[in-house]
Amino acid sequence: MTPVLAVENLVVHFPARHGPPVRAVDEVSFAIAAHETLGLVGESGCGKSTVSNAVVGLVVPTGGSVRVAGVEIAGADGRTLREMRAKAQMVFQDPATSLNPRMTVGAAIGEPLLVRGIARGAALRERVASLLTEVGLRPEHATRYPHQFSGGQRQRIVIARALALRPALLVCDEPVSALDVSVRAQILNLLVELQASHAMACLFVSHDLAVVRHVCDRVAVMYLGHLAELAPRDALYTTPRHPYTRALLAAVPEPDPALQRAKLRVPLQGEIPSPAAPPPGCVFHTRCPIAVERCRREVPEWRCLGETMVACHRAGET
Amino acid sequence: MSGRLTPGIAAILGLLAIYLLAAIFAPWIAPHDPLRQVLLLRLRPPLTSSPAAGLFLLGTDDVGRDLFSRVLEGARASLIVGALSVSVSLLSGTIFGLLAGWFRGWTAVFILRVVDIVLSVPAILLAVLTVAVLGPSFTNLILVLGLTRWPRYTRVAYAQTLQIATLPYIRAAEMAGARAPRILLRHVLPNIAGPLMVVATTEFGLMILFEAGLSFLGLGIQPPSPSWGSIMSEGQNYVARAWWMTVFPGICLFGVVLCVNLLGDWLRDRVDPRAQSR
Amino acid sequence: MTSVPMSGSAITPALAVDDLTLAIGGVSVVDAVGFSIAPGEVMALVGESGCGKSLTAQAMLRLLPRQVKQAAGRVLLGGEDITALPERRMRRLRGRRISMIFQEPQAALDPLSPVGAQVREASGLARAASRDAVRRMLAEVGIADPERRIDQYPFELSGGMCQRVMIASALIGGPAVLVADEPTTALDVTIQAQILDLLRRLAAERGTAILLITHDMGVVADIAERVAVMYAGRIAEIGTTEAVFAAPRHPYTSLLLAAIPRLSDAPKSRLAVIEGSVPTPPEYGVGCRFAGRCPLADARCVAEQPPLRAMEGGHLSACWHAERVA
Repeated sequence: MTPVLAVENLVVHFPARHGPPVRAVDEVSFAIAAHETLGLVGESGCGKSTVSNAVVGLVVPTGGSVRVAGVEIAGADGRTLREMRAKAQMVFQDPATSLNPRMTVGAAIGEPLLVRGIARGAALRERVASLLTEVGLRPEHATRYPHQFSGGQRQRIVIARALALRPALLVCDEPVSALDVSVRAQILNLLVELQASHAMACLFVSHDLAVVRHVCDRVAVMYLGHLAELAPRDALYTTPRHPYTRALLAAVPEPDPALQRAKLRVPLQGEIPSPAAPPPGCVFHTRCPIAVERCRREVPEWRCLGETMVACHRAGET
Repeated sequence: MSGRLTPGIAAILGLLAIYLLAAIFAPWIAPHDPLRQVLLLRLRPPLTSSPAAGLFLLGTDDVGRDLFSRVLEGARASLIVGALSVSVSLLSGTIFGLLAGWFRGWTAVFILRVVDIVLSVPAILLAVLTVAVLGPSFTNLILVLGLTRWPRYTRVAYAQTLQIATLPYIRAAEMAGARAPRILLRHVLPNIAGPLMVVATTEFGLMILFEAGLSFLGLGIQPPSPSWGSIMSEGQNYVARAWWMTVFPGICLFGVVLCVNLLGDWLRDRVDPRAQSR
Repeated sequence: MTSVPMSGSAITPALAVDDLTLAIGGVSVVDAVGFSIAPGEVMALVGESGCGKSLTAQAMLRLLPRQVKQAAGRVLLGGEDITALPERRMRRLRGRRISMIFQEPQAALDPLSPVGAQVREASGLARAASRDAVRRMLAEVGIADPERRIDQYPFELSGGMCQRVMIASALIGGPAVLVADEPTTALDVTIQAQILDLLRRLAAERGTAILLITHDMGVVADIAERVAVMYAGRIAEIGTTEAVFAAPRHPYTSLLLAAIPRLSDAPKSRLAVIEGSVPTPPEYGVGCRFAGRCPLADARCVAEQPPLRAMEGGHLSACWHAERVA
């Protein structure tokens, strides 16, 4: 069975005004099957948002391949992209700017159906009403404007719009980062339910490891444009193979003082290098607690270690 | 909070409504034919009345036409010129701004260079030249005003479009499958309309002044049709003997420009918080 | 209702707040908030957006926005009431006895001035004598190579580094109290861990009392010895972090904790949700402000405001049904 999303050796470079291009994404490969949620985690500037934008064709890849339901979109023309987007939809981070303030909620949710000629008039209103109900809002909300809703409700509206075309792939770019804790739980519950009921493949981009663990089946960790590790959820959280994954997990403060204070502290030293001038060899070696001479010279191979894929010379040594 | 409908704004809106009604219904309100000359009654002061012709509320001009009727008729010319020229420049300027902001690259470079060139030519010189070549007429007047003023709107529309184009709801519209014309008309335009309207109100006042200036120079509305500018132009020869010929159209001009500018300031206060919170 | 929950020690608290009430246009947005912090202690003020935690923080330094008025209450800095101090004297206290750091370190620094100069400015020391002091301070907050960094501009530094600079300029005057308003919210998780470690170390070594404003329960669990949970302008629950997390005695705290996905819970399980949304100040009723969303609420909760009461375990909860909270 073809995966819903297959990314192979994806490279995205952004030209810089001065100096070398910014290597936002470098040789990233992964695939997502139907019914599956893949988490993409990493810190700011690691390239995770660029990957999500490349997957839906909002960013043009410099190299490599992105196939959505078998259709290549790297280098594809406008028509192909437009057709692909009927199958891949996106939920954005900030619900405040994800909706046109001058457009009613009904018009926003119905737009994908209208512009693609799928539904209009009464049929369109009916579809919008059922989408609103599906995300926990009421059909009469369709005539209101975005500013009449809270952040959580707006994110529900954004999700309804993304579901309108019954996409095979849903890309969520930090969908709960801008929301308050209590609202965050509502949206996460909704996303988990919808992903299951619609049997969608889902690419879930987040910096929050606990959230990713909650909603994802497999998790990919990115650092400075490269994949560091990709593993099934339980493997990644119980036996992380990459020192960066370990450091990330150690750095997440658990909301439980007993657990948190008993934690072994291995804070990463130093700062994230600039993606315009990534270090040679393994990009993580400048902050890695176990780096050796080889890590400074050789780029680690993306290899299999049990059910885990990892890019580290020293993974599996102990 | 400025931006609410205060009594001051209500008064301004009321006054503008009076101007508008006067301009629309000028032929019915005017007590006299604005073009009919009664040479026996020339240069009569305000409130002159004659048993044969009736009351001349604002007096008569140098060839004995009723000044009140002429100012009313002139309101029509001034407001129509203002509205049409603002429409022409608003429409063309906004389209160029949207295109430059959306496509960026060479389209933007080209449009913005043209903007710079047009803005660097003195508007009055351009107007005088155009009228000199094409001859003075109502259409040419509108054309000249429209052609010299569109860059103002282009600059605003361009900057706003650039800003809006990066927002997630525009990307969402692309994801929905909307094409450029729909995105520009349904998503970008409504969200940049506020700042453009603010520019348009200040421009409206300016256009009326501009028309008055051109008519004053004899390049605008042609006699015998009155406009505030042409009435004042005729009156300047008689300032010492018949002050009313310049003062009354001047007051009308001053009033409408002031009202429109105040309205523009108020609109700016009203739309700015939205622009911030977007 | 003016009980100031003390931190247990007999010494004068570094910062004590009693019955603090802040109002915007006559509507109280922070209502009868009281707490105290001992020297060297880290106390967290936690809550969702709009709960009044940031305004409370700003009131500690009398840096409230113009439209916010302090309607009642006292703020005691080392036992001295600063509520009525003239602005001139207040200005001299800031930076020397109480300091503040903010969420966006890059926005809080002047982009056109070298960071060393900004730290020195905060110290009030003379130029010649102070370069050494500034360099030592930068080293103390963990900035490697301070001799080079001291002459750099904020844009040359990362977000984490800028926050270290902010902390250095907040502490160089030797204040007894540091108010930290979401100091790690804009930072990445590995950098957040570094900054939290730094704050913890500074509290221990310098004896600085830290009031930490945050929305992140993980940060609270990591660093705070005591925590006050705020909801809609009031303190819902206050006590030691262990006690509040282990046995929350306010339904809001309990639900909030259950709503957070944890590394330890079952994946894809339904998270607890708090129905509805936070009321806005005009919607505050006479009773408990959580009543509209609370599963335990009854007629009394709607009619009567619950006072903070002592629970077993030594913490205080403002709930009529505190004993029934699971």
